[in-house]
Amino acid sequence: MARPEPAVAAPLLELRQITVAGRDRPRLEALDLRIDCGERVALLGPSGAGKSTLLAVANGSLVADAGQLLWQGLPPARSARQRRRQQARIGTLWQDLRLIEELSVQQNLNAARLAHWGWPRALLNLLLPLETAACAEALLQMELDPALLPQPVTALSGGQRQRLAMARLLRQQPSLLLADEPLASLDPRLASQLLALLLRQAQAPRALVLSLHRPDLLVGFDRVIGLRQGRLLFDCAAAAVDGAWLRRLYGSEAAPL
Amino acid sequence: MRPAPPLLLLLPALVLLPLLIALPGLLHGGGWELIGQFGVAAVTPSLDPIVLQSLLAGLGVTVAMALLGWGLSLLGGLVLGLASSRTVWRTLSGQELPAQLIRRLLAVPRSIHELLWGLLLLQLLGLQPVVAVLAIAIPYAALVARVVSDLLDALPTANLEALRASGAPAPAALLTALGPPLLPGVLSYGGYRLECALRSATLLGVFGLGGLGTELKLTLQSLEFHELWSGLWVLLVVMLLLEAGVGQLRRRWSMPRRLALHQAGVGRRGREMVVALLALLPLLLGLGWILGVDPAALGHWQPLPGLGSGGWQAVLSLPWFQLVGGTLVLTALAAGLAVGLAPLQLLVAAPWPWLRRLVTCGWVLARLWPPPLTLLLLLFVLKPGVITAALALGLHNLGILGRLLRESLEDHNPAAQEALLAAGSGPRLALFYGGLSGVARSYLAYGAYRSDVMLRETVVVGLAGAVGLGSQMLESLSSFAWDQLAALVVVYALLTLAGEELSDRLRRRLLQRA
Repeated sequence: MARPEPAVAAPLLELRQITVAGRDRPRLEALDLRIDCGERVALLGPSGAGKSTLLAVANGSLVADAGQLLWQGLPPARSARQRRRQQARIGTLWQDLRLIEELSVQQNLNAARLAHWGWPRALLNLLLPLETAACAEALLQMELDPALLPQPVTALSGGQRQRLAMARLLRQQPSLLLADEPLASLDPRLASQLLALLLRQAQAPRALVLSLHRPDLLVGFDRVIGLRQGRLLFDCAAAAVDGAWLRRLYGSEAAPL
Repeated sequence: MRPAPPLLLLLPALVLLPLLIALPGLLHGGGWELIGQFGVAAVTPSLDPIVLQSLLAGLGVTVAMALLGWGLSLLGGLVLGLASSRTVWRTLSGQELPAQLIRRLLAVPRSIHELLWGLLLLQLLGLQPVVAVLAIAIPYAALVARVVSDLLDALPTANLEALRASGAPAPAALLTALGPPLLPGVLSYGGYRLECALRSATLLGVFGLGGLGTELKLTLQSLEFHELWSGLWVLLVVMLLLEAGVGQLRRRWSMPRRLALHQAGVGRRGREMVVALLALLPLLLGLGWILGVDPAALGHWQPLPGLGSGGWQAVLSLPWFQLVGGTLVLTALAAGLAVGLAPLQLLVAAPWPWLRRLVTCGWVLARLWPPPLTLLLLLFVLKPGVITAALALGLHNLGILGRLLRESLEDHNPAAQEALLAAGSGPRLALFYGGLSGVARSYLAYGAYRSDVMLRETVVVGLAGAVGLGSQMLESLSSFAWDQLAALVVVYALLTLAGEELSDRLRRRLLQRA
């Protein structure tokens, strides 16, 4: 494996002057951002501010029109194989969860290992329960009953599906966790429960970037980034965010605090 | 330990193993040079105006036969479909029994392939355009009737009952409550049948009923590959235009795709649909006139040539077990090849867009070719037999199934696949887990239906010799052994009816769990 080892001090994610063109105005404009190990970052902003675009650039599913993207100090590799290894270290929790509806809970959890598995294990996973201990462990961390493993995903409740998607994220063993408004469609009690679970997982050497539109959930984050019209409005410690900032962020809308 | 859907999808491809093992033994040295010439001719088709003129004339005949046969089958299928609908009978007369009876009766014309109808009618009526038209119209009408009555009986009847309760007369209530929701389904299926009709008309031509198919067969037999390819390219253009046109209408009227599991409501622009249907009538009449279809000729039956000696004793002495067995093996091999190879090809091509495009082009060519022509081509290098026949039949259906798989993947939400890619899986595994999972059941359900079609189609590759009922039928037909032929048709019909029942059950089971 002739892969250069990243320097220890390199940030998990670094965006330099990232610009993504849009129809009327850029979706992201000359954005600089640096995420280090152990940081838990909340991404705030009104709808259309570019939060999803930022996360898509960060996980490599969207290529920026200009600027530089660095994962652990290295740009996305040219070789498909090495690039996949890089992407395997970035886990994304999608707003629509993106579970594979036709498969069982265990098969879905193991789908997160496909970056490391070859075809034999990928095929076997569709026939036999593989790596049951690791899958059960991932479920337990998200406070789900391991008895759910053989269940089809379609049999789960909404809250269980959300937890399963988070367990799958853990099963991927990423160092950078990205989450795109994972709490948007949940009731307040469930939202704060799941957020607590997610924050607990995001300890050094991991880091978490989570976009949300509810400033009342900022407790537990180290850092808050405000995004408005594709630009960075503020980037400060979570404790420093106050009503004035939020009013600027959400424009005329009164920010609920 | 039940295999999950994407794995299920790969199971039919296991049939490739015995095929690959048996293939080297089937090769004979003879025709590689011919295959080479054939390949070169693809890029150097003949542009001789005389050739082109006769090809275009042949194409005109084929298209006219297809359109007429299709139009008749749509008309007949609608009438027969209404007549075999339980809902209609219950509303009009209060009992369902006649619907059941008509439905059973219609299974007979449906079970006999259009080629057999064509060859039988040819004996009765002599060579004239109406033979091909009827050969297409009869089995297609029975197929359309089944789909229409299935669609009708699956519609919720609450509206109908509400109208009846408020005093509407039965026919008006039926038309109002069931007409609009029925129309998009019927038109969508009708569009698909038109594509089939064009393929069938070409196929009938290969067996001598005139049109482009006849030209293709003659040029292939006289090894005029350049002229053959001129014909194929012409056919390709027409087929692609037709597929694109039908797809366009389907989108415009928001009709369900063939693989759609749920009815998509009443569609849009209902009035436009009705007008388009009505506009078909003068078009079809005009075509019939140009083609010289003479309804009066239907009255002039030719006396059948006298029976050969032998009688029923000869019928009983046919090797029935081998005939039926050969037919079943042929169907299984062809079905496994067609259903299994398409997802495998997509998986192999997943990382490279250019290869995916190449595979898609291959599918277009495969469904364009009538299977007997593929067979003749294969016989240049392979010995005749069940595997060669299965290759010809399987490749043709691969083209049809492949297109269907691609379409349904395009309709499927790509989110899961993109999520896997973003988490670092390779493009193949991402397609396998994220894409194919979602379409596996409906694709396999369609594959079950298509296997039933392939069982019916085994007769068209009967040319390969000694491959089941199809070959024996063609032989009996050419030796005017009517008693043998009758027995063969009955056995064949029974077999296809059993196959239809089996594939229906399989399909329902697959879709239930979806």
